[in-house]
Amino acid sequence: MSQILVITSGKGGVGKTTTTANIGVGLAMRGNKVALIDTDTGLRNLDLLLGLENRILYDLVDVTSGRVAYKKALVRHKKYENLYLLPTSQVKDKSAVNPEQLVTLCDEMKKEFDFIIIDCPAGIEQGFKTAIAAADTAIVVTMPEISAVRDADKIIGELGRADKENVKLIVNRIRPQMVEKGDMLDMGDIDEILSVVCIGQVPDDENVVVATNRGEPVITMSNSTAGQAYKNIVARLCGENVPFLKPQKEGFFARLKKLFGLL
Amino acid sequence: MSDIVTIKGLKYGLQLTFAKGASFDDVQANLLEKLQSGNGFFIRGTTVFVPKGYFAEEQNEALRRMFHRHGMLFSTELKRPNLAPSSRDINKAPAQKFKESVEEAQKMMVINRTVRGGQEVKANCSVLICGNVNPGAQVIAGGSIDIRGTCRGFVHAGAFGDKTACVVADRLMPAQIRIADLVARAPDEDIKASQAERAMIKDNMIIFEPVAR
Repeated sequence: MSQILVITSGKGGVGKTTTTANIGVGLAMRGNKVALIDTDTGLRNLDLLLGLENRILYDLVDVTSGRVAYKKALVRHKKYENLYLLPTSQVKDKSAVNPEQLVTLCDEMKKEFDFIIIDCPAGIEQGFKTAIAAADTAIVVTMPEISAVRDADKIIGELGRADKENVKLIVNRIRPQMVEKGDMLDMGDIDEILSVVCIGQVPDDENVVVATNRGEPVITMSNSTAGQAYKNIVARLCGENVPFLKPQKEGFFARLKKLFGLL
Repeated sequence: MSDIVTIKGLKYGLQLTFAKGASFDDVQANLLEKLQSGNGFFIRGTTVFVPKGYFAEEQNEALRRMFHRHGMLFSTELKRPNLAPSSRDINKAPAQKFKESVEEAQKMMVINRTVRGGQEVKANCSVLICGNVNPGAQVIAGGSIDIRGTCRGFVHAGAFGDKTACVVADRLMPAQIRIADLVARAPDEDIKASQAERAMIKDNMIIFEPVAR
C-alpha cells in the first residue's frame, strides 16, 4: 500500500525541504522505494539538498504538460538506489502546474512507489493547493515561534477545508536551552494550540547547515542529534512506537569548552 | 352604494378588492380620491396588494406609479416585501421587537471543532464551541459565547448591543474581548488562566469572574 505525503508549513524557512529530504532518505535507507516531488516551482531547492542538481534533465512542468513520461524526469539518488527525485522547473512559476495534473501524476506513480513525498511551497496560494491535492497524509512542519505556530494553525485549518484530515506535526529547530529558560514556546504550548498528532521534535543542529551545503541530508550523519530525530520520525511513519528524544542539556564540560573557546 | 374599492388590513400591508363590474378607470379615480382624502389607511411605506392577474400589466404599472407618488409600495404577490419594512413593522411595540431579539439570542449555534487562526464564526444567536478558539480566530455572536476549551482568539458577544451577553471558557485568555460596545484587551504580560471564567459587563466595564463547571 503506497502512501502519498505532503510536507507543508505555511511559513517559509521552517525546514520543509530539509524535512522532505531527510524523511525521503530515511525511508529509502529502510528499503522503501521512494519518490520525492518538488512542487516549489520557481524556487526549487530539494535537488540541492540531495546533491542532484547536475543530474536534472527534465522537470515536473515537462511531465505535467505531457512533454515527457515521468520516468524520464526522475533523477535517481547517487547513493540510495531506491530514492528518486522529480525536480520542478526553476524558470516557470506556480501556475505552470495545476492540482488535477498532480493528482493524475501521483495516481500513476503510486503503482511504482511505496512512498511519494511532496515538498510544498510556502504560502497558502495556488502552489499550496496544488501540492496538497494528491496527498493522503499531510505533515505540517513548524518551529517553536509564535509566527510559525500561527501559520501552522492556519495551514491545518486550510487542510481541513480541503478534506485532508490525516494531519501530523513536526516541530523543527527546537533549542532546549531557550525552552528551559522560557524564551521559546515549549512542546506543551504548541501541542495545546495545534492539537494534532506530533511525530517529531527536531533540535536545532549546526550539522543541518553543513549537511545542506554538502548535499547530504543530516540523517546520514551518525553523530547528529537532528539526524537521530529524523531517524525516529521515519520509524514513527513506519508505525513503530519510538519515544521522543530527551532534550540534551548543555553539560558542564561543554559549557567549559565554550568558555575557553571564547577566551 | 357599495364602494368600488374595498380595503382590508393584512399582516404586512393592505389588500385591495374591487366591486364586480368596476372598470379600471373607476378604480383608479376612486383610489386617487381616497389617497388624497388622507383617511389614515394609507401610511407612507405601506405595501398595497392587488390580486395578481386582476388588471393588465400596464394597468398595474399605472397603479404602481400612483402609489409610489404617495410613498407606498405596490405588489401583486401576497408576501412580505423585502425592499423596506412596512409601517406595521416600524410601529411595532418595542417590547415585541425586544422579545424577538431575545428569542433569536436564545437560539444556539454549536461548533464541534477547534476554530483555528484565520477562521471566523459569525452568528446572530449564541454560540457553543466544543473545541479551542486559537490565536488569530474570530468568534462574533449576537448572543453569548461558551467555549468548552481554551480561548486565545478574538471574541465578540452581544454584537448587536446586548449588554447581558457573556463569554465563558474553560481557559479564557483572548487577545481581545468585546461585549456589546465595550472592548477589553489581554494584558501585555502573559497570564495563564487556571480555571473556567466568565466575562460580562458590570458597571459598564468588562469583568472576569471564576465560574464552577
